[in-house]
Order: sequence, then C-alpha cells, then structure tokens
Amino acid sequence: MIGNDIVDLALAEKESNWKRKGFLDKIFTQNEQLIISKAENPTIMVWNLWSRKEAAYKIYNRKTQIRGYFPLQLECFDLEIIKGFTFGKVIIKDCIYFTKTEITRQFINTIAVEKVNDFEAIKILENRKNIQKKNGIPEYFENNILSKKPVSISHHGRFEQIITL
Amino acid sequence: MDKKEIIEKLKNIVKPFIKNQEAFDNLTEKTDFITDLQINSANLVDVILDIEEEFDIVIDNESMERMVDVKSALEIIETQLSKK
Repeated sequence: MIGNDIVDLALAEKESNWKRKGFLDKIFTQNEQLIISKAENPTIMVWNLWSRKEAAYKIYNRKTQIRGYFPLQLECFDLEIIKGFTFGKVIIKDCIYFTKTEITRQFINTIAVEKVNDFEAIKILENRKNIQKKNGIPEYFENNILSKKPVSISHHGRFEQIITL
Repeated sequence: MDKKEIIEKLKNIVKPFIKNQEAFDNLTEKTDFITDLQINSANLVDVILDIEEEFDIVIDNESMERMVDVKSALEIIETQLSKK
C-alpha cells in the first residue's frame, strides 16, 4: 500500500492561515508543535508535517476502510534529511508508515509506504489511463484486470501527482 | 435554533472553501465535505474552528473525527447546543 500528498505552497498561503487561534492544536500533537516552533521556517514545517500525515492517512484508510478526520492520531516522528529528501515515520495506533518528503519553493510532496524498501519501487504515472476507482480507492490495471496495483492520486492547486507500486 | 437555521449558518461557513458549486447548491444532509464539496482537508480545520466560533461551542477531538459530512456536523452542533 502507498499514499501520496502534494501541497501547492502558493495555494496553501492563500487559503490557509495556520497562525489562526486553535488551528495547530486541532491538527498537530504537542511534539509536532514543538518541531514547528523550533523550525527555521515554521510555515514550511507546517505543510511538511501535514503532507506526511495526509500521505500516511491514505494508507491507513485503504487498509482499514476507516474514514474520518483525525489528524491528531497520526503523529510524525524520526525526521531526518538524506540527500535532499526528508525522511521520517508516521504512527497511528499500532501501525508505523515510512515517509519521504520533497520540499521545493513551489510545492511539498510526501510519499508514504508500509515497507521502507518500497520507496525504490515507486513509479510515477503520467495520466489517469487504466486507473479505476473501487469504493473511492483508485487501482491501476497495467495489462489486464488481473494485474491490479495500488495507486495514489494527489492534486492541489497547480500540481498533480499519481504514483503506483 | 432549528435545523433549517443551523444548515443556513453551516452553508455560510463552508461557502468560502468549496470547490464544487453544484454540490453546494444541492446541499443535503448526505453531502460530504471532502468528496462532494471538495473542501481541502487542511481547510476542514477552518470549517471546524468557524463552527466553534459561530455557535459558541467546543468540538472535541472525538467529535471532530466524524466531521466529514453535513449529517454528522448537524448532529454534533445540535448535541453541543443542547448542553448549553
């Protein structure tokens, strides 16, 4: 299972005010708020952590079929930077997912996987050809109906990314 | 406050964040904030904070988890208002 999330930073700037009273408390744990307050650029850290939670939620939602708005139950930890990508983990209940986040001036993009080796196998699809949704969850049929693969689609503002495994 | 009034207030709150005008114009209790109105998930927290301010209520984390459609929002608002 995989999950991805992309944040268009220009659109986030326009549509969200994370400094609004109560905003951080509703979606970030105490530990995450500490990471944000210590960050060189707190705005980037807000969307960095948010995209990790969203990408991890997509895996959790697919596996459990549980749908809801519970960002505080998904906690980011073990943030580290390797070769320009920031890696980390997200925990929800007894599940831990691995995340890889790319931060540019224009967007922040996180891919979440269940097994750390899966990062190597991620492929980016150019369009929605051969993608079908079942119960709202997309799947990719490469050659025929028997070879379905998990797909995750994220769209925000100017950016869209579709990944498969 | 009756249900009709609550729905009107709720419509005003979500209006700035919707991406699907048709779903908004045809809003019912079954309307989903994310899949139908296409509200960005980061803006759902704004909707929740606006509901708290407008109705002068507190939405705890447990209630927030269910806050993905109009029906649940109405239930949560009505429950909190009845406690006042």
